[in-house]
Amino acid sequence: MIPQEFEYSAPETLKEAFALIADGDRKILAGGMSLIPLMKLRLAAPEHVVDLGRVPGLNHIGEQGSIIHIGATATHHDLEISPVIRGRCPLLAETASNIGDVQVRNRGTIGGSVAHADPAADYPAALLALEAQIRIASAKSDRTVPASEFFLDPFTTPLEPGEIVVEVLVPCEDGSEGYRYEKLEHPASGFAIVGVAARIKKSGKGISMARIGVTGLGPHAFRALETERLLESGADLAKATATLGDGEEANSDLYASADYRRHLARVHARRAVSVALTRAT
Amino acid sequence: MRIAGSHILPVSQERAYALLQDPAVLGKSMPGCDSLEQIGDAQYRMKMKMVLASVSGLFDGTVSIADKSPTSSFRLIVEGTGKIGFMKGDGLLSLVPADGGTNVQYEGSVEIGGTIAAVGQRLLDTTSKMIIKRFFDKLTAEVAAENSTISGTKSGTVTS
Repeated sequence: MIPQEFEYSAPETLKEAFALIADGDRKILAGGMSLIPLMKLRLAAPEHVVDLGRVPGLNHIGEQGSIIHIGATATHHDLEISPVIRGRCPLLAETASNIGDVQVRNRGTIGGSVAHADPAADYPAALLALEAQIRIASAKSDRTVPASEFFLDPFTTPLEPGEIVVEVLVPCEDGSEGYRYEKLEHPASGFAIVGVAARIKKSGKGISMARIGVTGLGPHAFRALETERLLESGADLAKATATLGDGEEANSDLYASADYRRHLARVHARRAVSVALTRAT
Repeated sequence: MRIAGSHILPVSQERAYALLQDPAVLGKSMPGCDSLEQIGDAQYRMKMKMVLASVSGLFDGTVSIADKSPTSSFRLIVEGTGKIGFMKGDGLLSLVPADGGTNVQYEGSVEIGGTIAAVGQRLLDTTSKMIIKRFFDKLTAEVAAENSTISGTKSGTVTS
């Protein structure tokens, strides 16, 4: 279908973009991989679309003092092939390579995905495991929110009207860490039925650090804190993952019931941690 | 799709029963409700604007209350139709006294159809639950606001 008529602006600076989204029924367009299909179906009919695609430099990827700065309009493919991401934060590169299909990865952006906050998106699992921060700016403010306080509910984030996700900040992984993103992909949409991102640091035979982010299981991505704690205190893998998702509300749809999803999350957590362990040195 | 759950409202059972059927309170608590206008006995016409992510849609619908058995249970039926789809929710609400107020238990079904359901199937369950949660959170906030105005009035009476 053809979208309803709308006004289109392509600002060339963030300042211009802030002014354009200040009021009215405005929608920000990044890669458009969620917004455009919804507009074509006329489920979304914004009066004014503000395209961030032409703001120069907003797709930067660079390392500054052991923090990787990723601009909002960096595409999934940019992350997948970036030597900085692959070298210093391989979990994120692996996660990016699992998103959708080639076309989606070529257009879709990290800022767009994060701001949209689909409960089954891949990035949130990795960003939680990486203890990343989301930088949000508006004409008047500039603030940074930890990933753990960003994904609040389906499509619900602390973004206020007038604010734009401008950067994602990720601490560099330690070279000795093991990592893995394991996902069961929905065959049609490519979204995660469940996705588990794991980071593991070994010390001797034990695990000195475990970080596990889970997406797709509940109304928003979350850290499996209990599983992390059990792994760090020496519990075996089966036991540590057996309680994952307890107390979390699990989603259910035609493809996977809540119980099946919870089971899948545990199986994928087990696989993710096993692979991460073999990669850790 | 089946929906069930419970929520504690910090008021007595009588008060909770009355609040849950008060159109002014329902109108303020239902997410996206623009207006609620009485059209019959325990029946209201509702205009709603649902906004979720980029999706937004206007719904015209009705809210009705049936099978009243005062202070313990009633049925709440919400129906709406709009350009982007239709929805129907039919739930039995049972009220039982609990620590700190009244436990409102709900059980029922939600049907969603049209474009919104065809495209958003994987998200219907989680977003329906979120909307119900928002309803109860808003309701609890309304109750809290009401309680504080009551105590405010009381203290006002004392000073005058």
